[in-house]
Amino acid sequence: MGNKQTVFTPEQLEAYQDCTFFTRKEILRLFYRFQDLAPQLVPLDYNSNPDVKVPYEVISSMPELKDNPFRERIAQVFSQDGDGNMTLDDFLDMFSVMSEMAPRDLKAYYAFKIYDFNNDDYICPLDLEMTVNKLTRGELTPEEVGLVCEKVINEADVDNDGKLSLDDFQNMILHAPDFLSTFHIRI
Amino acid sequence: MPLILCASKQKPPSPSPVFSPLPSIFASPCLCSPLPRKLQAGRPARPASGIRGSEGPLRLGRAWARLAGAPKILVPWRTTLTRIGGQYGAGTESYFTLLRFLLGLNILGALFQGALTLLPLLLLGPIPGPPSQGVHQPCGPYDPLPQGLVDYPTLLINLLSGEGHLEWSPLFYGFYPAQLSGGTFRLPVAYLLSTFVSGLLCLLLILHRSVSGLKQTLLSESGALTSYSHRIFSAWDFGLRGAGPVELRRRALRYELQVELEEASERKRAEARTRAQWAGLWATRILLNLLVLAMLGAAFYGIYWAVDPNKVLQNVPVVLETPVLRLLVAYLPSIFISAANLLLPPVFGLITGLEGYPRSRQLQLLLLRTVFLRLASLVVLLASLWNEITCGGKPEAEACATCGYNSAERPCWETRVGQEMYKLLLFDLLTALAIPLLVQFPRKLLGTVCCGRLGRLLGTMEFQVPEEVLGLVYGQTLVWIGAFYCPLLAGLNAIKFLIIFYLKRFSLFFFCSPASRTFRASAANFFFPLVLLLGLAISAVPVLYGIFVIPPSKLCGPFRGQVTIWAAVPHAIQGLPRTARDFLFFLGTLSFAVPLMLVSSVLMVYTLTLASSYGRQVSKLKGHIKMESKSKVLLAQRIVALSGEERDL
Repeated sequence: MGNKQTVFTPEQLEAYQDCTFFTRKEILRLFYRFQDLAPQLVPLDYNSNPDVKVPYEVISSMPELKDNPFRERIAQVFSQDGDGNMTLDDFLDMFSVMSEMAPRDLKAYYAFKIYDFNNDDYICPLDLEMTVNKLTRGELTPEEVGLVCEKVINEADVDNDGKLSLDDFQNMILHAPDFLSTFHIRI
Repeated sequence: MPLILCASKQKPPSPSPVFSPLPSIFASPCLCSPLPRKLQAGRPARPASGIRGSEGPLRLGRAWARLAGAPKILVPWRTTLTRIGGQYGAGTESYFTLLRFLLGLNILGALFQGALTLLPLLLLGPIPGPPSQGVHQPCGPYDPLPQGLVDYPTLLINLLSGEGHLEWSPLFYGFYPAQLSGGTFRLPVAYLLSTFVSGLLCLLLILHRSVSGLKQTLLSESGALTSYSHRIFSAWDFGLRGAGPVELRRRALRYELQVELEEASERKRAEARTRAQWAGLWATRILLNLLVLAMLGAAFYGIYWAVDPNKVLQNVPVVLETPVLRLLVAYLPSIFISAANLLLPPVFGLITGLEGYPRSRQLQLLLLRTVFLRLASLVVLLASLWNEITCGGKPEAEACATCGYNSAERPCWETRVGQEMYKLLLFDLLTALAIPLLVQFPRKLLGTVCCGRLGRLLGTMEFQVPEEVLGLVYGQTLVWIGAFYCPLLAGLNAIKFLIIFYLKRFSLFFFCSPASRTFRASAANFFFPLVLLLGLAISAVPVLYGIFVIPPSKLCGPFRGQVTIWAAVPHAIQGLPRTARDFLFFLGTLSFAVPLMLVSSVLMVYTLTLASSYGRQVSKLKGHIKMESKSKVLLAQRIVALSGEERDL
């Protein structure tokens, strides 16, 4: 505490500490990680709130996200325009939600958005198929994939509309005690 | 708690009305970038208690976690095990953790026994000279030491089969004298005490390990949690990094899904079977079971024959002359047991595949049969030894009449049992060394040389976790049986397990490919310690039988001249002061045992009722959660309907 840094104004740091789960040190560390991704794009002085976006290709080459089958969706969900290019705010949000300190409800909300490929606020059978294919990298036959999707909807659909709403999803996640530990990226 | 935005740009709203109650339904802190306008409804500028307010306890929690994790650094091979777990799966890692645990057990047991038996002998007592020779003794001449110079082959054979110089050495029971100089330290009592205490320690440590593992895995693997939705949505670990662990997780997930689907289709097929098909299936099953029993019976008879109670094979002239054949005959029981343990399980695997059970059932049956094979072969060996030593349990048979045991054949029967266990241990180590060299390496070579499917079939080897774990359990049971008759066996076993650790790790990294099937952690944490406990229970039987029933040898060992081995303890208690003596004798009477049993049964019934009431509470709470979610949906619909009415109004 008390070490001089010139990246942010004190008000900015306070604001960041309020809206993420990170401490001062961690925010600064994350900023340097962000800066390392694209040194020529990201300025070292954020006092004037520059509007800098790191392109998706650079984000997806981070070691934490490189091997994740859902990296594209994660970047799309947390970026402002939904195209995967992230500002520093988006970057901090993403890792704040994926950190171990985020509560279950928040994680479930974002997990729902990640698995909702067509952004229609419901996880429909097509979204499920894409999820299963991304998880198994197409090693299951189409009938098996269809069977799995059918069973998932049967198990989790409480209001019986053939697709999963956010409430169905959250209800199902309640029964999964290891959701908190698997939906977690350490940075 | 309402949402807070750190920036002010807006995102276009999306159509669903169900989302508008969201900010008040769940409590969450802010985000730094803008959320859709619809979610901004009704929020104040700052949070009520703030994230900052909870930072103190958060930091404390993290510091405490770091402190609690410090002792884990002292545990050896931590990085190796995490590496193995990441590349080859949790099942393989559980094998190596079990190996490390058993190594610790053995080192502890060896230290204990060494401190209580060998150390006093070296420090206090006279090192016993060779047993009195030439004098005619009532229970047969006992002359283990070879006369004069021994040639090199005989020396090697003696080393490998525990005879000759090794027989009259601190390695075996027979060497220890009945009294040490000074008379204050009672070696017989210390000898017995070391066995009991190390056995009790092993029991407690194994129970502790199995219970703590069970607590973790029982909850997380109950039926509702391994459903399809969990596999799809919460089974993928977002923190996985590196192509290796990711690939492993993918394969494991695919395997799990395929197994579930297969079981579902199997169940459908089973329901669709006609009567005739059921009859045919059951006839096949009975036939295959008879086949399995026949193979087991043949293996057991072979082991019984190999122990050679009548010394038929040993007295064949050819065998007497060539040292190699003598060694072979001495190792015949070990060879038969190892051959049975190596050849029969794959055959069992083929047979269980034909029985038409679902895959998980098949695995369980296979494991059961292999466990039975491993432990029962040891039992058969011990039974044939018992037959030889006690003349088939008939004390009035002519060979056993004079001394209570077969003194003509075995003047020092405890050493004989110890030697048998020693040979089994050595042969087990030899097999473990030979398999990578003679089986895995050629297969790997052939796999690279042959092309196409055959080459791939030969070349891919996987680490078979259940078989390897059963091998560990077998080795440990050996040591528990033999530790009473061969005090340094635990130390030898510790060295053996150390060699095996590095050997298995080497063969794993060089020859094996990552596992294609998952191993449920609950199986590893519950089933393996259970089999270990079974081995401990089985090993207790010959030791206790030898202590309480069979008369000790009159010419060797710390219990010579007594009626039974246990008789040393009451004899020693007599020497204690009066109160201690009365108390200890009271512990052995019925008036102590019966109330103890009653109190234990009451405690057990109480614990069982407590457990069942907790279980009922858990299921009630689960029902509550389901109802909560339903009421949430109803409330949300009501709100939407009401707000729709409001708008209309």
